[in-house]
Amino acid sequence: MSSKLDKDDIILKIDKVSNISDLESLRLEYLGKKGLLTLEMKSLSNLSVEEKKTKGQILNSFKVFLDEAIKKKKNIFENNIVNEKIKNEKIDVTLPPRNYNTGKIHPISQSIYKVIDIFSSMGFSVESGPDIETDFNNFTALNIPSHHPAREMQDTFYIDNKSDNEDKVLRTHTSPVQVRKMLESKPPIRIIVPGRTYRSDSDATHSPMFHQVEGLLIDENSNMSHLKGCLIDFLKDFFEIDNLQYRFRPSYFPFTEPSAEMDVAYSKKNDVLKIGEGDKWLEILGCGMVNPRVLENCNIDTNKYQGFAFGMGIERLSMLKYGITDMRGFFDNDFRWLNHYGFNPLDLTTPSGI
Amino acid sequence: MKFSLSWLNDHLDIENYDIQEIASKLTNIGLEVESILNRAEELKPFTVGKVLEASKHPNADRLKVCKVETKDGNFQVVCGAPNAKTGMLGVFAPENSFIPGTKLKLKKSKIRGVESCGMLVSEREMGISDEHDGIIEIDKKYKIGDSFAEIYGLNDPVIEINITPNRSDCLSVRGIARDLQAAEIGKLKNIEISEVKGSFESPIKWLREFDDKNEKLCPGVSGRLFKNVNNVESPEWLKKRLTAVGLRPISALVDITNYVTFDLGRPLHVYDADKITGNLKMRLAKKGEKCKTLDEKEYTLESDMVVIADEKKLHGIGGVMGGLESGCSMETKNVFLEVALFDPISITKTGRKLNLQSDARYRFERGVDPTSIDWGVNKATQMILDLCGGEVSEITKDQIPIRPKKILEFDYQKTKNIGGIEIPIEKQKSILQKLGFETNSSKINIPHFRPDIDGEADIVEEIIRINGYDKIQPKSISKDSNLTKDVLNESLKSFYKSKRLLASRGYLETITWSFYSNYFSEISDLKEGVKIKNPISVDLDTMRSSLFPNLLNCINTNINHLYNNAKLFEVGPQYLGTNDNDQIMMATGILYGPRNSQNWNEDKRLSDVFDVKSDVYFILDQLNVPIENIVYEKVNSNFFHPGKSSQLNIGKNVLARFGEIHPFILQKFEIKTNVNGFEIYLDNLNLFQSKKLSTKNAFDNNALQLVERDFAFLFSKDIQITEIIKTIRKIDKNVIKKVTIFDVYEGKNIPNNMKSIAFKVILQPIEKTFTDQEIENISSKIIDLISKTFEGKLRQ
Repeated sequence: MSSKLDKDDIILKIDKVSNISDLESLRLEYLGKKGLLTLEMKSLSNLSVEEKKTKGQILNSFKVFLDEAIKKKKNIFENNIVNEKIKNEKIDVTLPPRNYNTGKIHPISQSIYKVIDIFSSMGFSVESGPDIETDFNNFTALNIPSHHPAREMQDTFYIDNKSDNEDKVLRTHTSPVQVRKMLESKPPIRIIVPGRTYRSDSDATHSPMFHQVEGLLIDENSNMSHLKGCLIDFLKDFFEIDNLQYRFRPSYFPFTEPSAEMDVAYSKKNDVLKIGEGDKWLEILGCGMVNPRVLENCNIDTNKYQGFAFGMGIERLSMLKYGITDMRGFFDNDFRWLNHYGFNPLDLTTPSGI
Repeated sequence: MKFSLSWLNDHLDIENYDIQEIASKLTNIGLEVESILNRAEELKPFTVGKVLEASKHPNADRLKVCKVETKDGNFQVVCGAPNAKTGMLGVFAPENSFIPGTKLKLKKSKIRGVESCGMLVSEREMGISDEHDGIIEIDKKYKIGDSFAEIYGLNDPVIEINITPNRSDCLSVRGIARDLQAAEIGKLKNIEISEVKGSFESPIKWLREFDDKNEKLCPGVSGRLFKNVNNVESPEWLKKRLTAVGLRPISALVDITNYVTFDLGRPLHVYDADKITGNLKMRLAKKGEKCKTLDEKEYTLESDMVVIADEKKLHGIGGVMGGLESGCSMETKNVFLEVALFDPISITKTGRKLNLQSDARYRFERGVDPTSIDWGVNKATQMILDLCGGEVSEITKDQIPIRPKKILEFDYQKTKNIGGIEIPIEKQKSILQKLGFETNSSKINIPHFRPDIDGEADIVEEIIRINGYDKIQPKSISKDSNLTKDVLNESLKSFYKSKRLLASRGYLETITWSFYSNYFSEISDLKEGVKIKNPISVDLDTMRSSLFPNLLNCINTNINHLYNNAKLFEVGPQYLGTNDNDQIMMATGILYGPRNSQNWNEDKRLSDVFDVKSDVYFILDQLNVPIENIVYEKVNSNFFHPGKSSQLNIGKNVLARFGEIHPFILQKFEIKTNVNGFEIYLDNLNLFQSKKLSTKNAFDNNALQLVERDFAFLFSKDIQITEIIKTIRKIDKNVIKKVTIFDVYEGKNIPNNMKSIAFKVILQPIEKTFTDQEIENISSKIIDLISKTFEGKLRQ
């Protein structure tokens, strides 16, 4: 066998190779069309069967050895090239990312989501109705006739109605949706109605537009006990306070009888309002058993059905829950405010948060 | 309604009750305490002092240096009051006392070089009136050291309660006492109102002149004449009562009418009889008649208003306010009394139309006890004779019979059924009786002073409020199996979901007012918006017909806070008319400014139509709209740039509009930056929101190799690419999976009226791998179709 096909000799030669093209030349020297090994292989055909077998095995094992050795060396060269490239590719990844806008959910919406989640767990569904309401739905059906002093409790915006002669107003509460619901469906009824409401009042604590959520439950036997239970459960869940101190006071609304207002206790330290405990009371909602006159106005049999209703201001709930001190911020649309008090789109209000 | 504790004590034995206990009981029974004013404590430092000597200040003409003797010794006080003089008694405020009127702590000081230790105070400084022309002068009958609070009757705590409109009976101290007594606070004292017989016939008669239809506007009036009275200043006790509740004592005759109004809820009026010609008559005003009333204003009346008139002129607006000219003065010698009843609705209308508020109107419009027409006369007689003397005539009266007491059938079980609390029948009856109800059988007689009691529910409320709402046990409610409805209906689903979706695309949620200036509806598509008759200001007088103006209005103020680019949205209604279906629910958003203005990286382009378009498509897609069925329509709107906007329809339903905001609109809002916007018609997405089955078709795991083919064509510039994509897909939707546009070019090397569009078609084999021939066939089909349908020229 030619000494040129010596393994040690090959190792020496490969070791000496210093670049990838010299390595290729070396490979061709042995494995090219006229390479040493190729020629040896070709010459096998002249040999006897016995010799062919012996020499063939030797040549083959040499080829495998040679392929392996060259591949290994080639790998080293290739890795070096990539390493060299990487060395020159350093960037400062501490530079800020491309801009992304962070969207926020308005605190009013976030409160409404929470209100819906809590009441839906008690079997309430959500209803809505138009902001421009008939005088009948907003007042008359709710037992507030036109001369009633209770109308002075609510400063009403009147609408210039050109399409027909009906008197229309901007709804002063979400209660007219109760009327709509009762007129179009039969008990049992359990609905809540979050929505926009309007009163012609504007100062630090009143906005001409605000949000309310109204609740209505009609069935055969729900009474003041259930009314209390429902609202206490709601507020404990909404404010996440188990030991919520509250009181129900008799009050007056033309559409409920008996009527009540619910206060929760609070304390104030260093201008921070703490809800749930304290020696002061804060009015948080109005409620009562639906006045039989309202049920009659809505064609519901008062011998069979009764129920309760409640209403509360979303702005007030939000201010208390999130520590917002000024009513006016809600509608100023100052992006700084929205970013500060707003919620991330996936800050879900469900119990699991997912 | 205000009253002092000592006044309440006239009616109710409350010696043994603490004021806090009374207050919390009041709130618990529905008479919500708004404030308790107990000034005794804060006024403690202020006592009577005597000016021993008032001499001129050496360095100031208008100031005096007074030597004041007080219970704690003599002090030197510098005083600027013109009425400060030697020998007078005044109110001395010592050093370090807190002056309620100025809310300042009094410090020892030097005034123009003279030391001043303490102060002689004015009424304003004591916070009892606006009087500041001089210091308070105390009557000589008091002595040095006497308490200022006591002299002014300010040591009697005053409670203010919020009376709900149904409780006219509690617009009197008597009514409040009755309620408290029913709730087991104190014992109600009997009040004696005796009848006084007249000694002569009244020369002035009370008459009512109405037709049958209007008779009930003034069901009765009664009164009498008092001869030779001596109108004086009221006695101290009466003045203190009135001052405590914020009324200004005027003269005994006037003070008596105010006192009876607050004490018993019975408004009265007294006329100077010498100013009246002939009889006094209740009648309807003639349209345009004028009446000058005690507030010194002249009102022009309408023909549905009740007035009081003699033969010559008007002497008052019935139940609202008396006339100025015949009002009583200190010189009044002969007095004619009015105790009348009026219809609440009529009084409300009159008061509202004239915008005239008074204590009388407040009570009449809520309902006054009709029996008071008799006891009111007696009470007034008693007090006038007591305080002013004189002789009294027989009563003159014109009245239709008082309606009998209302009688209601009441089932005592209702207290449990509605109120949710079991109260023994005897206890229920006892509460009602203490409130003045008669409970002889199952029928209940309602007292005349409770016009608000109207049905069983009202009686339940009476019982449970006096028993205490706190005694009702709360019961949690669980889901009702008869109700299996979804929490949100279809339209509310897209309403609530769209907010989270938009926020997740980087949009800030705003909530803006539903009304804006009429100017905005003029520049919007509607031209004439729905008007509010009584807006809070002229620039908020129209219901918005688009959400864009309010959103655009946010831009400049926030740019001032260096928000040079932002995305914002509102989900809310817009109003195209006054009918229910004219209110449409929108998700409207805008995006302005450069995309990466404040950043280091190279992509510094302005945000554009395709930014909002991708947001709109994202929202529609997420709200289950089949995106591939969307058709582009031209936008017909003032808000959008006509060449850079589109409307997205499915069938006739408009789903959304998007595009660049019209440059004219930006000019009108003085916006200098670029703005793109969109509006999504949420109501039109309802049909895509119905609940889907959660089970889906089996997944088709097609392992056959996908094939890509690229094409480039020259088209006329007007071509709409979306049509090309749709047409290609129509060839075979199963095989042609996707068509994407990867280059659009016009300019160099392309004819002027043409553009080059390059697209990639992705082909999915169905049963077996494509042969070259099959791919070739599809390709030529595409080329044929494009060439024929769109006159496209294949670029080689």
